[in-house]
Amino acid sequence: MTTNANLERVYEAVLCGDREAAVAATRAAVDDRLSAASILNQGLIRAMDEVGRRFENGDYFVPEMLISARAMQTALELLRPLLVDSDVKPAGKMVVGTVKGDLHDIGKNLVAMMIEGAGFEIIDLGADVAPEKFVSAVRDSGAQLVGLSALLTTTLPMMQRTIQAFADAGLRDQLKVIVAGAPVTTSFAAAIGTDSFAENASRAVTVAKSLVA
Amino acid sequence: MALNHEQPDRCPLQASFTPEFAARLRADMQMEERDTHNPHGGGNTYALERALGEDMLLTSVGWANSYYLDSQPYVDEWSIGWSPQRYETPFGAGYYTEIVGHPLAEDSAIDSYEPPDPYRPELYADAEAMIRAFKNEYWIVGVIVTTIFETAWALRGLSQMLMDMALNPELAHRILDIPFCYHLAAARKLVEMGVDMIWTGDDVGAQHGMLISPAMWRTFLKPRMAKFVGELKAINPNVKVAYHSDGNVMPIIPELIEIGIDVLNPVQPMSMDPAALKAEFGDRLCFWGSIDVQHTLPFGSPADVRAEVLQRLRTIGKGGGLVLSPTHHVQLDTPLENFWAMVHTVVNTPYSTLK
Repeated sequence: MTTNANLERVYEAVLCGDREAAVAATRAAVDDRLSAASILNQGLIRAMDEVGRRFENGDYFVPEMLISARAMQTALELLRPLLVDSDVKPAGKMVVGTVKGDLHDIGKNLVAMMIEGAGFEIIDLGADVAPEKFVSAVRDSGAQLVGLSALLTTTLPMMQRTIQAFADAGLRDQLKVIVAGAPVTTSFAAAIGTDSFAENASRAVTVAKSLVA
Repeated sequence: MALNHEQPDRCPLQASFTPEFAARLRADMQMEERDTHNPHGGGNTYALERALGEDMLLTSVGWANSYYLDSQPYVDEWSIGWSPQRYETPFGAGYYTEIVGHPLAEDSAIDSYEPPDPYRPELYADAEAMIRAFKNEYWIVGVIVTTIFETAWALRGLSQMLMDMALNPELAHRILDIPFCYHLAAARKLVEMGVDMIWTGDDVGAQHGMLISPAMWRTFLKPRMAKFVGELKAINPNVKVAYHSDGNVMPIIPELIEIGIDVLNPVQPMSMDPAALKAEFGDRLCFWGSIDVQHTLPFGSPADVRAEVLQRLRTIGKGGGLVLSPTHHVQLDTPLENFWAMVHTVVNTPYSTLK
């Protein structure tokens, strides 16, 4: 099998959400001495890019996105030590979480997986995350991006309080903040002083890329 | 009349409330504390609904009754774990009960799982009393929401359930059958008891599009829902069936009509255009809902609320076919002035006065 064919297998396996095939193909590509960076870029990232495109087109829905992301993540685990060894830097670092009082996390998980699939390092704080916890995660990781999620109208105000906490900690200027979630609109995002708003997981990738560009 | 596609004197109204909003409303109306309003479950006195001039009364049986059971963490009779989550609003603090424990998270738990028994007579005691007391005066709705998919995702975990549907259809079918069989038995019983309408449904819409593909809906949910509607109408051909899904379900509406759904709820206006729905499906489908709880009710002004209600009466409500209600239980973050603007506009606007 040619090296290109191995990358193609990684790409196809992630696109179909076949975790076992994605791992096997990644291993074969490594054994073929393909660089970790090329497996990441030509295999995993390219596949997740296509997943996002299909989601935008209405060909993929949440289940397909979830299984592709899981296949990507499992292959990425295998690749991670090699990426470190060959000094491949992430496209950016992003802290994500659902704000305090809100336990809804599937939207946040999808965004995190899609952005990870675009080559970012994700620090996922989970759901019901207090403002102070966001602040210390940003401080510890040096992340340039923060993604705040909420499903409930009653927890929307917590987005603003979290952003205020970044300002109080003197971190706001070095950070780009993206908000997302069902009741979030462009005007709300602007009113609470965020840098951007993403309507869905696929657009969040585009937004994240533009904010670190 | 409205649900027979005829224009009544005014648009019917329905509203339910989170427990905290109900308490605030009671205080505002100077009503007694003894009244109970439980948006999911038993013990309702319907004093609030009746005092407000609502036209439909709801009685609920099924897994959804596990919402708002306790202010401490609890495990319901399905072995699903819940945790109350506190939130704050300008009008005080409240709790939402959120699902945190999934008894079928592990594959090995599925075969030995024993769901609760839907044939216990005590499950229907509230419905029986309510039908006896109010059947002549109100449109009685038997609530069997979270019918198939939502209970299944609570049992299994949402992400895992969605992945099962993509990767392991046979397993997904087995899990979906657990709540389906339970809720079908409960709905049959309520129809036999004489409810006017069954409210069924599962959230399959997200804010801007469907959560699962229409193809996946056709594989897993449409055949079960068709059987559900068919069995209920075999018991009483006049019973109406309302289908609930949050979000945008535009792609499956023709097929909901095809399987016998009479009424679509809640018609979230930030997800689907109510006027467009009326234009496209209004001759075959009635609507219940359409007042925005994501922006207008909590964050708009009374004038915004009034304008939205009038707009609905002129569009999706035109000529009947609409029961107006907020698209979810009214929540604590809603100003009372906004709530009253909704109620007064509906009650004081006869269809004959609309231009």
